[in-house]
Amino acid sequence: MPAVSIVLAGVVGGLFALGTFLVLRRDLVRVVWGVAVLTQAANVYLISMGGVREGTHDLVPVLAAHGGAVPRTADPLVQALVLTAIVIGFGTTALALVLTYRAYEENDTMNVQEWQ
Amino acid sequence: MSPQLSVVVAAVGLPFLAAGATPLAARRLGDDTGYAGAAVALTCFALVATQLGRAGTASAAWIPSLDAAVRVTVDGWSLLFALLASGVGVVVFAYSARYMHGEDGLARYYGTLLAFMGSILGVAFAADLVLLFVFWELTSVCSFVLIGHETEDAAAGYSARMAMLVTVGGGLALLVGVLLLSTASRGAFGTATFDLAAMLADGGAMRAALRESGLFVPALALFAVAAGAKSAQVPLHFWLPNAMVAPTPVSAFLHSATMVKVGVYFVGRIRPLFLSPEWTLLFVTVGLATMTVGAVLAVASTDIKQLLAYSTASHLGLMVAGFGFGSALGAEAGVFHLLNHALFKAALFLVAGVVAHQAGTRYIHDLGGLWRGMPFTAGIAAVTGLSMAGVPPFNGFYSKEFLFEAAYGAAAAGGGLAWLLPATAVLASVFTVLYSLRFLSVFFGGRPADLGRIERPHVTLVVFPGVLAVLAGVIGIAPGLAVEAIVGRAVDATVLAPVEVHAGLPDHVTPPVVMSAVAILAGVGAYPFVGRIEDAVETATRTATPVRPNWWYDRLLDGTEATGERLGPVVHNGLLRTYATWVVAVAAGFALLGYLATGAVPLPGTGAGPWVAVDWPGVPPAMALVLAVAAAAGVAVTAASSHVAGVLTLSILGFMIAIFYILASAPDLALTQLLVETLVLLVFLLVLEELPEFYADLEVGRTVRDAALSVAVGGVAFLTVLLAAPQPAAEQTRIARYYVEQAVPAAGGTNVVNVILVDFRGFDTLGELLAVSVAAISVLVLITMRNRGETG
Amino acid sequence: MTTTMMKTTARIVVPIILVVALSLLLQGHNLPGGGFIGGVLTTVALALIYVAHGLDYLESGVLDREVESGAGIFQHRTVLAYRKTFVFGLAVVAGSGVAGVSFEEPFLTQAFVIVEDVPIYHEIELTSALVFDVGVYCVVVGGLLTILSVVGGE
Repeated sequence: MPAVSIVLAGVVGGLFALGTFLVLRRDLVRVVWGVAVLTQAANVYLISMGGVREGTHDLVPVLAAHGGAVPRTADPLVQALVLTAIVIGFGTTALALVLTYRAYEENDTMNVQEWQ
Repeated sequence: MSPQLSVVVAAVGLPFLAAGATPLAARRLGDDTGYAGAAVALTCFALVATQLGRAGTASAAWIPSLDAAVRVTVDGWSLLFALLASGVGVVVFAYSARYMHGEDGLARYYGTLLAFMGSILGVAFAADLVLLFVFWELTSVCSFVLIGHETEDAAAGYSARMAMLVTVGGGLALLVGVLLLSTASRGAFGTATFDLAAMLADGGAMRAALRESGLFVPALALFAVAAGAKSAQVPLHFWLPNAMVAPTPVSAFLHSATMVKVGVYFVGRIRPLFLSPEWTLLFVTVGLATMTVGAVLAVASTDIKQLLAYSTASHLGLMVAGFGFGSALGAEAGVFHLLNHALFKAALFLVAGVVAHQAGTRYIHDLGGLWRGMPFTAGIAAVTGLSMAGVPPFNGFYSKEFLFEAAYGAAAAGGGLAWLLPATAVLASVFTVLYSLRFLSVFFGGRPADLGRIERPHVTLVVFPGVLAVLAGVIGIAPGLAVEAIVGRAVDATVLAPVEVHAGLPDHVTPPVVMSAVAILAGVGAYPFVGRIEDAVETATRTATPVRPNWWYDRLLDGTEATGERLGPVVHNGLLRTYATWVVAVAAGFALLGYLATGAVPLPGTGAGPWVAVDWPGVPPAMALVLAVAAAAGVAVTAASSHVAGVLTLSILGFMIAIFYILASAPDLALTQLLVETLVLLVFLLVLEELPEFYADLEVGRTVRDAALSVAVGGVAFLTVLLAAPQPAAEQTRIARYYVEQAVPAAGGTNVVNVILVDFRGFDTLGELLAVSVAAISVLVLITMRNRGETG
Repeated sequence: MTTTMMKTTARIVVPIILVVALSLLLQGHNLPGGGFIGGVLTTVALALIYVAHGLDYLESGVLDREVESGAGIFQHRTVLAYRKTFVFGLAVVAGSGVAGVSFEEPFLTQAFVIVEDVPIYHEIELTSALVFDVGVYCVVVGGLLTILSVVGGE
């Protein structure tokens, strides 16, 4: 069992736990933070599924030139997935924030337990 | 000659196109839309008629990976059904033009009716099981709209929903059956297919494969449920009488050539594949039971439309029973009766519509002696009513005679209990004669004193049922014509080996002829006692409610609604944390259960597992440090006392993750993450300016509960990474390898990540862009349109 | 945040960022970069202007146009332009997909040609994927800036 996996697993597990805890708070802003933390955790999780190794120049999934032998690189597919996930994550976080703001305007409270 | 795919597709597609144009046409044409619809139906009829004499299948690719395709099959059986649907369609549309005069929702009515006809044509020609299922369910949806045409009427809503639930439920049985067939086809052909035509062509191999996999009886039972629900077989017959709340032209269409015949048509279609002792037992039993129950209930009906509706169920039972018999005579009964019943029943429903239109009532006891007021209508009723009774020389007689011959043959061969079959058939026929006479009494019986003056109906209301009656009459006089034209070829498609069909008046006395004579004489003899029979049946159904499937249906529906009402507030209590708790707890619980069940995670104490033999010095120190800071930032976010502090620590987390991406050889991600993190910080700060700080008392109990759940979720995530992450020394996955190797030759780019985004997985990227756009639009709408809501 | 220091920094940094963003977009097929990154970077640059000068600066300061006041954020001309940008981007993306269909290839099939014997560069690679990437860029810039300006407008 490689130690990298254990460290990654620990970080992903920890972030998921913290994110879940935040999502269960009564303060709506903290709920949004929870969603943001969960997003980060999910991204790191995806990257770890591609197999993380100590970074070197050769591992970057940008090939040296057209043609020639193809080196072994880090998994490009998970990177493509995460790249879009990051941009969409911004969209959802912003949307959640605006929803928070509007919810506050309508209900005059940040406490999700007190909504009508 | 092989069929022309383009013509068949045009015939099926034209009604749908016309349905799309109906709203416009209805606005311009008004009542005359009915004639436009009749023109469409006539065009379809002509297109289908061009295929007469052709046989075979044609196909165009649709979903090659599933071997589902736009396959059509053209043979006598599909042509007969398609010609009936479009032909009766012409009559129904033309009749509607006058009948629906001044009604609301004409666009919806005609549009749905067109789509309905198109779906029926689709069912008729589909040789692909997926395609068949799609059209099958389309007919259910269209009939729902048509039956519930009177949207203000609660009874119409109830009946429409009932028809929908029963027939769509049957459709689901069809879907499962289709999947079973497809599974079995792997055994027969080597690859799974949805090609029904191929299965029928190689019936022996399919039967062997079905038997071998033990799917023969399940598939047969599922198809029986599907066909029984559509064709109103006992005990799923109860939706059909309720469906009479539909406008009369719709009833005429539903009951004669379309909806209810779909099940019978399908039974005939798969008959060569499934014909076996099980098949005979199932369909003969169900069919004869339906024939008897329908006929008895029809006698007890006091509404002429209800009488006709129960009669339809009874006649459908006749067809199903016919197809059930193993002999070719049974198939002849089913096929020929499909045609005969469509002709006389459509005409009878239209006649019932005329009666209701002119007399203002459909109540049998208030009607009588109408022949004086409407002699032509009475003539039509006489021809078609006697045909319904099975009296020679009207067309219904011949097909019923086929059934008697098949039943007699089966009994003579089987002996013993098999003699019940012809006896039941005769009993049902006695009741059939009885209710036919009952219906005719509306025209030829004694005229009640309080019946007012009956206006002569408008010519357009009479001429179209008249056309059907003439056709029925012609077949009655010269059945050979119909056999020659299409019935013979249709029978060939539903039997194992081609047969010669002989239909004609009997020239010597045989047992089946005696059976017919007994049925007619007994029916006529019992007619004087019809009132007492009606009372007896009515009392029986009222006292023994649990016998009625309708009662069970109501119980089931009410029970479901009540459960839903109780369950709703519990599950949906409006508190965010309830939802979040359930979602994460269930997701984590199931994941954990899965790991335990598959043995991926050994139970503690067994001394094995992924965590033994850790190679600690292998961690790159930079990565460990960055991740440690990220985790610490996560803790700080959770513990942050103010909003601003939390947002800043959240940013630290984000930037650490960005550095992690660099270390994990993902420069594109790192760049994006850095920039997005900056923007997130900006947006957070902008919004937080507007929001107050939040202070609340710490609730120890709740915090402990949340912490426990969070730790559990984190633990499962931890396990998941351990179990699923590949070993660093492991080979690249096949997909990753493919993308890296193909990036330059196939897409001409060296940045593999970008190549995946814009080229290999471009469709995914398009979807993600839509997500970004939707988020932007939602933000815009939330802020700028806040005052346009319902509260103002 | 509208300080002189901020304004000065923005004045120097923004053009550089924009050039970098553009180069990231164009080189994306072969080097780190691409529509997503270029788009986000451009958004950051414009956000910087916005933080330093306010939403109207792009119109009054850069384009030297009259700013209509009083209209809601929804009708704001800058926001309108952002919305148009991402609609345009979606159209480009979909269009590049349909273009493939017109050559009887599946939806969103990309192609490339390498043009040789070009002075100075020797060979230039022309890819249809670049068109797709430009669409991605427009959607990201338009979408994110819409969010940002609407939130900021409050």
